[in-house]
Amino acid sequence: MTTLSSSLETVDRDLARDPDYLCFEGVGQVFQTKNGPFEALRDINLQVAKGEFICVVGHSGCGKSTLLNMVSGFLTPSSGRVTLHDQPIESPGPDRMVVFQNYSLLPWKSVEQNVALAVKAARSELTAQAQASVVDHHLEMVGLLEARHKRPGEISGGMRQRVAIARALAVQPEVLVLDEPFGALDAITKEELQEELLAIWREHKPTVLMITHDIDEALFLADRIVMMTNGPSATIGEIVDVPFARPRSYEAIQNDPHYGQLRNHALDFLYRRHAHQDD
Amino acid sequence: MDRAMVTVDNVTRSFALPKGGTYVALKDINLNIAEGEFISLIGHSGCGKSTLLNLMAGLDQANTGGILMDSRQVTDPGPDRMVVFQNYSLLPWQSVRQNIALAVNNVMRESSQVERRERVEQSIALVGLGHAADKLPAELSGGMKQRVAIARALAIRPRLLLLDEPFGALDALTRGNLQQQLMQICQQAGVTTVMVTHSVDEALLLSDRVVCLTNGPAAGIGQILKVTLPRPRERLEVMEHPDYYRLRGELINFLQQQRRLKQHRQELGTSVVSPSVPQPAPKAVAMAQRTVRIGYLPGLDIAPMAVALDRGFFSDRNIQVIPVVFHRWQQMEEQLRAGDLQLAITSATSPLALALGQHGQPSWPAITPMTVTRSGNAICLAQRFRDLNVHSLSDLAALLDDRGSRLRLAIGQQGSMQDLLLRHWLASGGIDPDQAVDFQILSPLAIQSALRNGEIDGFIAGRYRVAKAMDAGLGYVLATDLDIWSGHPEKVLTCHEAWAANNEALLLDVCGALIRGGQICENGGQRDRLIGLLSRPQWLGNDAALALQRQLNLGNGQATSNLLPLNRYHSDRAHVANSAEGAWILTQFSRWGWSPFPRNRLELLGQVYRNDFCSTALEQEGLAALSPDRQPIQLACGGPFDQDEPLSYLEALPFTHNTAIAVMPLPSGTAKRATTTTETPAS
Repeated sequence: MTTLSSSLETVDRDLARDPDYLCFEGVGQVFQTKNGPFEALRDINLQVAKGEFICVVGHSGCGKSTLLNMVSGFLTPSSGRVTLHDQPIESPGPDRMVVFQNYSLLPWKSVEQNVALAVKAARSELTAQAQASVVDHHLEMVGLLEARHKRPGEISGGMRQRVAIARALAVQPEVLVLDEPFGALDAITKEELQEELLAIWREHKPTVLMITHDIDEALFLADRIVMMTNGPSATIGEIVDVPFARPRSYEAIQNDPHYGQLRNHALDFLYRRHAHQDD
Repeated sequence: MDRAMVTVDNVTRSFALPKGGTYVALKDINLNIAEGEFISLIGHSGCGKSTLLNLMAGLDQANTGGILMDSRQVTDPGPDRMVVFQNYSLLPWQSVRQNIALAVNNVMRESSQVERRERVEQSIALVGLGHAADKLPAELSGGMKQRVAIARALAIRPRLLLLDEPFGALDALTRGNLQQQLMQICQQAGVTTVMVTHSVDEALLLSDRVVCLTNGPAAGIGQILKVTLPRPRERLEVMEHPDYYRLRGELINFLQQQRRLKQHRQELGTSVVSPSVPQPAPKAVAMAQRTVRIGYLPGLDIAPMAVALDRGFFSDRNIQVIPVVFHRWQQMEEQLRAGDLQLAITSATSPLALALGQHGQPSWPAITPMTVTRSGNAICLAQRFRDLNVHSLSDLAALLDDRGSRLRLAIGQQGSMQDLLLRHWLASGGIDPDQAVDFQILSPLAIQSALRNGEIDGFIAGRYRVAKAMDAGLGYVLATDLDIWSGHPEKVLTCHEAWAANNEALLLDVCGALIRGGQICENGGQRDRLIGLLSRPQWLGNDAALALQRQLNLGNGQATSNLLPLNRYHSDRAHVANSAEGAWILTQFSRWGWSPFPRNRLELLGQVYRNDFCSTALEQEGLAALSPDRQPIQLACGGPFDQDEPLSYLEALPFTHNTAIAVMPLPSGTAKRATTTTETPAS
């Protein structure tokens, strides 16, 4: 119990330092389509603390990606505003890195070159030598030093996603945006990557916004789970606090009596209260 | 269980590798499936789930063993067994109706056009696709395509439906709805189903039993979980059942433990010893002499080693064995920990006790590659108890009740197999060992004089020690292991995990020599020669012969015979390193309050019980590889022990001190000295 309460305090202190770090204030998003305007998101209000790990869950079409695109700056809200450090987000920048499910690596470059390219672009203040050691360090953290000279086509899906994560984190972004990064992976690789992601997150403590379909993944990773209602006009339906002590062990939290309660609560939201039309 | 409709009988499937050698995918799988049952196969990628499914379908053949359906061997695919794959396998240019009709027309050749058409329409209706019957597969969603595939499979009324990750390619929501439908369809059709899945929730929702496969290579059945949730089940409601997360936790724990075992083996730089990769014949290769020091305590359990030395089985294999005699078990284990011994013949409980770090010791990565002896124990009481008319356990219990004094019993080692058997036997007669007994730990050599001097009231030991006490007129036998657990593991070979990994070939040869030795020990015709050998000074000594010849005169008036068996050295799977027996040992450690029951027991047992060594050694010796069966262990006192239900067994035992469960830190085999991996147990 000592570990539980003490680590809860640490987290709380960190988060309390800057609770309004990343803010969504009355954010709405309307797209113009040939059938007229389509309201994807409506009235999103969310304060994310610096260093917090947020998972966003919801059915497909609930506007999760739209939400993240406004953080990464690929999209600006039709109404309301998204701010980082009180500054509105208007364009993409190296302080916010995105990792997609499909890896988006350059297929003709090696693992190392893929990461180095990002480091070179985002951290030009470093000497070439310092940049190289940043690349090495991050490849090591995801266990890819041996595969560094391989091309994306020569490695497994799990390894490709490791490269994408190493690349995003090597830039040392303040905000890391993850769009279902592990959706396409098998269970073992997925769990390994989740553990690696948490280990890296502990080192840099970036603020993380991650989309996932997987409640178990969200319960393992997140400080809070943001649950979206169905679109159109999707909004935040509920926010669930995840109280498990960090560092977390997959088994320990599964055996925690709260686990089933939280999981059932989230499943109830998704599959009863906000069930989706089915084929 | 009902009579099996499908029997997977001792199936092993291996594949030739392109660069030579073989890959053993499945090893010694035994499984009975009852009519109407829904079974899920779960396990990590590469565990051979799909291989097993293909074998049941008849799409593939086992190398050894076979599959029976309705008592007939499955040799090729047939319409009584239908398979549904993840990728649907529909003909893209044919409509839903045509896809189903194709299967129906193919199988129902005897039936009329009308009957066939009826069957097709029924099947379409069963999966609720009437509105889409004329669509092409490309016009359907993934979930609908899979429904067509299921309808097609069920249309020809198979007796066995085989599903290979049927919903793997679908999103969570579609998956959930289809699971629900599948469950209803299977129940309506009453079809026996085996499904491969990665999803724990899917397995729990649908199955009567979940068969958990261990990691490949040489994957086996690690655990079978009975899903006791009431039917009919509804996907979300079932999760609110009070047992749901306990069952789910069991499956998650199983998968996590398998995952860590895989990592552990990788760190150790070794995989499971592969039985089918031929080992170079030692004689053909010029090799340096290999020396191993093997610790032992004198007793009948060392017979296989004595024979192997006597007949040159070690030197044949280019091994110099230095037997190192000890008089106290504790001392021997200390030397084993210190690395002064490479191997030791220990109590069957020692590998687990060492790995868990029991009785105040740090944990040490012990493994056992084989069992050396089984049975051979007896409980002996001082002669004066016979004069008090104590002839049975209940007499003893009554006497203790009357006198109100404690019984003084000697054991060789705390927590040894003998200790556990004695305690279990006492408890079965209503005697709480921790209340009614003072246990004294004595060297086996000191027992007789303690009995003579009245310092103890009795003891448990090998029949040889008991026979000596009887010869001296000091005691008589109240019970033997036949009254407790016939065929229990008694002594096992024990060594450090990393040593085993670095000396695989050597360890296999030592095991081989001991197996050969054990074979001779059980050969009745060799009995006199064996007694002569064991009576030599370096083993049991000159005065042993008489006791050995009479060691089966139990002093209770029963007839004796020189041909009665000694310990079990070879027959009836004697050598198997059986992790189910390890699970029983863990229940007893917990029962007597020595450690919590490990939540990660399968990981612990998988690390400690290395029957892969035993099987490979047997095969090298030209003998059939043995694997433990999954039948519950029959104990003579107390109920049967089912390795899949250790906790309910533990709770039902009398005088259970401790039913706490915890994730136990396991020693890391990579470090020569034990370092514990820390993982916070559930709060």
